[in-house]
Amino acid sequence: MDINEKLAELERRNREAELGGGIERIQDQHAKGKMTARERIEYLLDPGSFVEIDKFVVHQCTDFGMEKKKIPGDGVVTGYGTIQGRLVFVFAQDFTVFGGSLSGAFGQKVCKIMDLALKNGAPIIGLNDSGGARIQEGVVSLGAYGEIFRRNVLASGVIPQISVIMGPCAGGAVYSPAITDFIIMVKKTSNMYITGPDVIKATTSEEVTHEELGGAMTHSTKSGVAHFAEDSDKDALERVKELLTFLPQNFREKPPLAECADDPMRKDPELNKVVPTNPRVPYDMKKIIYSVLDDHKFLEVHKHYAQNMIVGFGRLDGKVVGVVANQPRFLAGAIDIDASMKCARFVRTCDCFNIPLITFVDVPGFLPGTNQEYRGIIKHGAKIIYAYCEATVPKIAVVVRKAYGGAYDVMSSKHHGGDINLAYPTAEIAVMGPEGAVNIIFRKEIASSSDPEGTRERLIQEYRRNFASPFKAAELGYIDKIIFPEETRPELVKALRMLENKREERPARRHGNIPL
Amino acid sequence: MPEVVAPMGGNVWEVKVKVGDRVNEGDEVVILEAMKMELPIVAEASGVVKEVKVKKGDAVETGAVLIVLE
Repeated sequence: MDINEKLAELERRNREAELGGGIERIQDQHAKGKMTARERIEYLLDPGSFVEIDKFVVHQCTDFGMEKKKIPGDGVVTGYGTIQGRLVFVFAQDFTVFGGSLSGAFGQKVCKIMDLALKNGAPIIGLNDSGGARIQEGVVSLGAYGEIFRRNVLASGVIPQISVIMGPCAGGAVYSPAITDFIIMVKKTSNMYITGPDVIKATTSEEVTHEELGGAMTHSTKSGVAHFAEDSDKDALERVKELLTFLPQNFREKPPLAECADDPMRKDPELNKVVPTNPRVPYDMKKIIYSVLDDHKFLEVHKHYAQNMIVGFGRLDGKVVGVVANQPRFLAGAIDIDASMKCARFVRTCDCFNIPLITFVDVPGFLPGTNQEYRGIIKHGAKIIYAYCEATVPKIAVVVRKAYGGAYDVMSSKHHGGDINLAYPTAEIAVMGPEGAVNIIFRKEIASSSDPEGTRERLIQEYRRNFASPFKAAELGYIDKIIFPEETRPELVKALRMLENKREERPARRHGNIPL
Repeated sequence: MPEVVAPMGGNVWEVKVKVGDRVNEGDEVVILEAMKMELPIVAEASGVVKEVKVKKGDAVETGAVLIVLE
């Protein structure tokens, strides 16, 4: 073979590998409204930046006639490249090759790219579209899954890990995405479940569709497994790019700074009117969030799940911040189990990646009821405490209205290590709401009064005036400053600048024991 | 048939519609009092009110049907 023949051979083999499972299967993929693995990578990365590795890897299975069926690449495309000029590692499962099923060789390719990502401190992005284990390979396939899961755990909190679900993702395969920091699902074409509808029907007679069981909206509304649900492959990949603008390359770095054209000292007089004078009337907490962030931009995470708690990313003064807020419009802003998990997970994600936390508080308490108690609101609510107390990133809180009882403590309070605790003049910081407190403190006085209702009403008004305010907490130093609502943005920016070089140590230990 | 259900337990503070009323998606149909807050409950679909299952002062549990639309 002369050199030209050798070059031609490489060219031929490259082209063969790039076809994956062949033209017909690529057409099937397109007919389902899905892009191929390679198209997805091309769309995700900066043009021309993708470097593929392990293009010619094939499986080693010799059972069930598999030795005669080998396709270069073996069902997963792996490599590295850049997004907005920043290094990322990526693997894309190729549904056109053996249904994207996972073999030992496939697993080794994924592990190699994960190891490179970890050693080089750059995010890993997994594009999932796979029928599951490659049955012909038996336990080899299970071993490969396990190797991937272990790497996901080792990389957790070291580099950002993002999973995009763009097709089936069933059985054990769900656990790799589950360990990663973010899951983005594509509506209609993606599913995640431990056991599919057929197994469920056979074992429990329950009938359910793939979409109802594990579609993007199911996991965005009911289970909270998915952080984002997007309309198409392209939208999901755009979401990855957006998300990365808020994340550092690894835990040693800060998230990227952005130019801030929005005046950091901008006031918003509208904020003086957001909180209704009647404390029984809800309002939209998002108005405050959108008002204060740079360019009024907020990327909400878990938008459709546990809407009584708002979490998401934005920027202040060009710096990335994580926003956590109670939402009085849903469940009166009460904290339930789902909201606890949503909040705690987000706080920990921010703390992993050096993202300061801004918390807006308006919480009447934890949600009462047998349902919540039986399902363990005690241990789940404790996660919020754990997450905030553990976090060493700058923590700034603004009490907007209610901060009652234990819920006052958990929402980034001074006692849990809040660096700067601000309050609006509308804040009501107290052990409980005026109605409840008066009924307990003045039980006898009300009962023996000639006009119990009138007495009760008068005492409630008195209590509200004297105790349901931010001034008691400010007298004790629990609130550092009571601010004019219109100055929220400048106040937050000043606090954030002051906390720029915050350093805080935690006691030595193997690891903490968060209640799970 | 679309139903308006209580997202959390509480007391009915106000019923804002009656049988035969036309409601649009997003209209407030009931105000529920829970956690010392007046929570507006909105219709998630448009339609005509076929049945009003609660009245002011009723205690309802999570998931209770408040209004039936058609």
